[in-house]
Amino acid sequence: MAARRPGPPFTLHGIWSGAVAGLTLLPGVAMYGVAFGIMADVARLSALEAVLFSAWVYAGGAQMATLQAWADPVPLVAVCLTALAMNARYVLLGAALRPWLAGLPPHQTYTSLFFMGDGNWALSLREHGEGRSDVGFLLGSGVVMWATWVATTAAGHVFGQVLGNPERFGVDFMLPAFFAAMAAAFVRKLHDAWPLLAGIAVAVVVERLVAGPWYIIAGALAGSFVGMVGHVRKA
Amino acid sequence: MFARPDILLAIALLGVVSMLCRFGGFFLMRYVAITPRVDAWLRAMPVALVGAIIGPVAVKGGPPEWLGLAAAVGLMRWTGNEFIACAVAIAGVAGARLVLS
Repeated sequence: MAARRPGPPFTLHGIWSGAVAGLTLLPGVAMYGVAFGIMADVARLSALEAVLFSAWVYAGGAQMATLQAWADPVPLVAVCLTALAMNARYVLLGAALRPWLAGLPPHQTYTSLFFMGDGNWALSLREHGEGRSDVGFLLGSGVVMWATWVATTAAGHVFGQVLGNPERFGVDFMLPAFFAAMAAAFVRKLHDAWPLLAGIAVAVVVERLVAGPWYIIAGALAGSFVGMVGHVRKA
Repeated sequence: MFARPDILLAIALLGVVSMLCRFGGFFLMRYVAITPRVDAWLRAMPVALVGAIIGPVAVKGGPPEWLGLAAAVGLMRWTGNEFIACAVAIAGVAGARLVLS
């Protein structure tokens, strides 16, 4: 093996500048956090469960998607596959960081990756693109997002309890509303509506035929294959 | 404050799944490259999943839900702001239910 390449810097100063830059992401994170807290209350999770959920899983889209599949008792395999489908894109985000983070000690690398979200990933890549290579930036911006996510989940849960009857305020429609808005945003980024349409069509059919949340997995698989085939055709 | 053991187990497993995805791409890149095909597959996954969730909601819902979904999609495309899109959609559903029921 070749001599170990010296890793990128990882300093307190980098962490601090990441935390300051990450402040711009917090309003968006807070909105999703409050929404998740309310949804978790509607799904009858306790405040402690909702907070642990956000602190440990820390993935907004996946957390909301699993709530859609939630039931009593919890369908473990189905919710894990749902989270896997929603978080699959993190594989790409992590892979894109490889050239930058290579050579960093594992404890710094994986701590930084634990706190990685879509927002601070994009911010950090831009920072790196501008020639600043301190990986502390990735960790610092991630940690302020994470702390906001956990705190606003708690606030949302409290708010949900105050609201009481969720149907009256359309709160039970929060999840579909968030997902519909996400769909519009995703399609814009992907420049392709076929994976979305395939996901919808397959889920509608499977939901009629199979009891439980399996329609979510079936739709995700079908739609993502359509995306892959479409890419191969274009290439 | 309480926490049920079965729910804690679910949360624990979901966290592991989440971490596998966060760490996996970085870790695997050391051994294999992500081909354009796999990239396209993973990239299309979230939008397909989101479609799978809202499809049955639209089919099972009535006019208030249709209105809400249309408002969320339309406002998101128009304003690009999730907060506006969701707030109007949710308020619209609540209002429509009040009027229609």
